[in-house]
Amino acid sequence: MSKKGFFAPLCATAAFALMASGAQATGFATCDAGPREGWQPQDKLSAMLKEKGWQVRRIKEDGGCYEVYALDEKGQRTESYFHPRTLAPVPRGAKDHKG
Amino acid sequence: MKIWDRFVRVAHWSLAASVLAAWITAESKLKSVERLHEWLGYVALAVIGLRFAWGWIGPRYARFGQFVAAPLRVLAYAKALLRGVEPRYLGHNPLGGWMIVALLATAALASLTGWLSVTDRFWGVEWLQEAHELLGNGLIALAAFHVAGVVYTSWRQRENLAAAMVSGVKRPPEPGDVA
Repeated sequence: MSKKGFFAPLCATAAFALMASGAQATGFATCDAGPREGWQPQDKLSAMLKEKGWQVRRIKEDGGCYEVYALDEKGQRTESYFHPRTLAPVPRGAKDHKG
Repeated sequence: MKIWDRFVRVAHWSLAASVLAAWITAESKLKSVERLHEWLGYVALAVIGLRFAWGWIGPRYARFGQFVAAPLRVLAYAKALLRGVEPRYLGHNPLGGWMIVALLATAALASLTGWLSVTDRFWGVEWLQEAHELLGNGLIALAAFHVAGVVYTSWRQRENLAAAMVSGVKRPPEPGDVA
């Protein structure tokens, strides 16, 4: 086999794998939250969770939900999902959760 | 002739297995698989730590000093390789030796960033998660090149080098080989 002959497919496969891993939603849940105008601000969710005694580390969007990295009131690491419209908790594995 | 001692062989295959399994179990939605992924990382890190120590105290062909070649020697080997006149090495060849260093270092960093990102202190830290993913994918890419190098060298030398990593035995040196 020539060098070119196996180099190119190898690179193509690697590139494809990287793109495929970046494109799909990898989270634990997805939400059906409608247009962004109806979403509540992340700060409000953060304040709400701090009220409960959580240490909020990061909030980001994932699969149309708010994804929260935090230490909960017991100090346990948690990665939880909340509905952007209602800020209700979204169970793990939920698909297109309506809030 | 015995080249790879038992520790090197066990370390090689357990690291290969844990890295591959960790890659497959990455980004799982199941808690149990997530836990498995974490444990595979701890196993990998332990193996790397022991292998690193063995690289200083182990037998001849296990030692970094034996197979980590100076840049000029690597260049000379690469040139010879392109001209198809590269010598046979009983241990790692200069390019293969550096691949081992790259694999061990990348696997160590991938494990460490993964470990840190599930500690209370670094939970949810974005750059660690990004770095972990990049290192994991980079490690698999390196491993693919490692396997390609092994296949090519096996073909060039008419000796199954993957089987040698199981038995530890390689054909005795002939004139012109680097022992």
